[in-house]
Amino acid sequence: MLLFLQSLLNGLLLGGIYAAYSAGFSLIFGVMGVVNLFHGEMVMLGAFITYFGFTLFGIDPFLTLPFSIVFLFIFGYMVQRLIINRVVESPPMISYILTFGIHLIVAYSALWAWTADFRTVTTSYSGVNANVYGVIIPYARLATFGIALCVVMGLYLFLYRSEMGRAIRATAQDKEIARLKGVNIHHIYAVTFGIGAAITGMAGSLISTYFIIFPQMGLPYTILAFCIVVLGGMGYVPGALWGGLILGVIQSVTATYLNAGLSGALTFILLFVMLIVRPAGIAGKGIIE
Amino acid sequence: MFGIVVAFVLTAGVHGTALAQAKFRIGYAVPLTGTFGRDGNLVKDAYAFWKDLVNAKGGIYVKGKRFPVELIFLDDKSIAAENAKLTERLITKDRVDLILGGFGSDSVFAGSAVAEKYKYPMVSGAASSNKLFERGFKYYFSTLGKATEEVRGCVDIAQILSPRPKTGVILGSDVLFTALACEGYKKYAEQNGIEILHFELFPITLQDYNSMLLKVKQKNPDVLFVGSHLMVAMKMIQAMKEIDFTPKMVTFSYGPTVPDFIKNLGRDAEYVVAASEWAPNLPYKDALFGTAREFNDNYFKKYGRYPDYVEAASAAGVYAMQVAIEKLGIVPPLKQADRVKLMEELHKQDLMTFYGVVKFGPDGANEAHPPVAVQIQNGKLINVFPKEAAEATPWYPMKPWKERQ
Repeated sequence: MLLFLQSLLNGLLLGGIYAAYSAGFSLIFGVMGVVNLFHGEMVMLGAFITYFGFTLFGIDPFLTLPFSIVFLFIFGYMVQRLIINRVVESPPMISYILTFGIHLIVAYSALWAWTADFRTVTTSYSGVNANVYGVIIPYARLATFGIALCVVMGLYLFLYRSEMGRAIRATAQDKEIARLKGVNIHHIYAVTFGIGAAITGMAGSLISTYFIIFPQMGLPYTILAFCIVVLGGMGYVPGALWGGLILGVIQSVTATYLNAGLSGALTFILLFVMLIVRPAGIAGKGIIE
Repeated sequence: MFGIVVAFVLTAGVHGTALAQAKFRIGYAVPLTGTFGRDGNLVKDAYAFWKDLVNAKGGIYVKGKRFPVELIFLDDKSIAAENAKLTERLITKDRVDLILGGFGSDSVFAGSAVAEKYKYPMVSGAASSNKLFERGFKYYFSTLGKATEEVRGCVDIAQILSPRPKTGVILGSDVLFTALACEGYKKYAEQNGIEILHFELFPITLQDYNSMLLKVKQKNPDVLFVGSHLMVAMKMIQAMKEIDFTPKMVTFSYGPTVPDFIKNLGRDAEYVVAASEWAPNLPYKDALFGTAREFNDNYFKKYGRYPDYVEAASAAGVYAMQVAIEKLGIVPPLKQADRVKLMEELHKQDLMTFYGVVKFGPDGANEAHPPVAVQIQNGKLINVFPKEAAEATPWYPMKPWKERQ
């Protein structure tokens, strides 16, 4: 029983990590319809910001979050404003090719600048955990989980309660009408991308304390984010949380009771089944086109 | 007149090429990026170390003359098929005289098949899967032992531990080398009377190890044997700490001997045991590198870090090739007949090097190599097994995470 509880908890915490780095992917897809193939590179950039902040300046990983958020917001804003905006109204294939190109450019530039070395952020509290009635809770993952919840809720409130959020949703629903109403959609797109990038970079900073950092770490994150967002419903931001938690728990329980190899296979089986049976995601609120 | 000028220029060109060819052009494809990028860069450093040493003396000494060495390397991006393609390119397009092995069994497996096809002897110091030696190849040589044998020291060390470990779990990433290392663990665990409670191979792309390790923790084994490369080894330690799992001993087939392991994990790397094929305190020496200790110290002077055993094995491998060339008296540009002779000579060779004896068996594996186990003690790799070569006694059992400072 304890084993099951521990496995379930591991799954939920893992789900929190998944949700943290997938929410931005969902937001960007939901508003612009862009499947961002350099999503994982934004995780990588966030992780490197924390790594350098920690190793060069001795800044605690959690205190590097604002740097990641600001840097990635500017990065996301500029990339959208200067590059993706030019193709955003073209067929989706163009944006796949473009974002894949950016993936290669960012990953290989990072490789050139920082070499292929594997790095870790090892703090005094790395791997430290609480033992609650025999259930082990690693603090860093718990913090990520908490922050992921806040991010998803915050993003939801922002989209539904603020003026900018209203403009973003209006643009997502019908960009022509939004344009007629005086919304500068290119600016809205760039801000949305910036926000998506900022929360993704923040997730990168968070995971750097317990995952390995290297320039080419990005692609698996992009792939998993895609799976999670499909599970939760494409473009429906709270769906990233549901998708992340479900996937986290399934993977964890599979790895504990069956074997770890199967957990990867199950992820993709689940993805196929979802696309066929419930393409709008678990909550049924995703975009189907 | 124009014709004469053209003819003159062409002749000069040909002459120029002939002059430029008066050196040994040696090529290799190796992962410099991707999963094995870090590990592959070590091999590159080792070859460069050898080249600089040889060129400082004017080059390889053949028939009273010295021929400098030029190394041409290409990045296979940790993709095995790419290695085969690049090896073919080195042979057919760049027309190199000789080929060396890269890093990792999958890459070398693919590359060596191309070398065999073109009758290029390939000496590798960074691949050891048994399958490499089961193909009936004549042109493939390895200074490392077979993967299943490489981890022997990590299991045999049980003989000198007290209380003697009785149970173990084997985990490994599902790629050629590490899967075989796991087979080796199993074989030697049986011989040492260690009961294996669980055996599992997992995908190398697995992101989270915590849940997998939970069931291992539940079984409470004395030893956790891990089939690993650097990244898997690092992730395993992080995960063990996160779920608060400390067996009495943890061993890795590869990873902890790469300097990055200690550099990144710091004190969490203490107590870790790893397979090795070489240690600087072993009593070996040769004419080029000097003693094992000198190799170690000079390497540090050049790169600011000590060499991993794979680097020692790679340097020894290319040195073995050099000695064979000098003995045969073949000069560049090499012809196919020269390379056939070189292959035959390598099979006959019985050479003492700083790395130990290099003596290739009929299948190309180094037959003369004792497995070593090292342990990280106070931030340093210490040779702890076999007892005759040990610098210190192994720390055992491993201290629980919560009791460490």
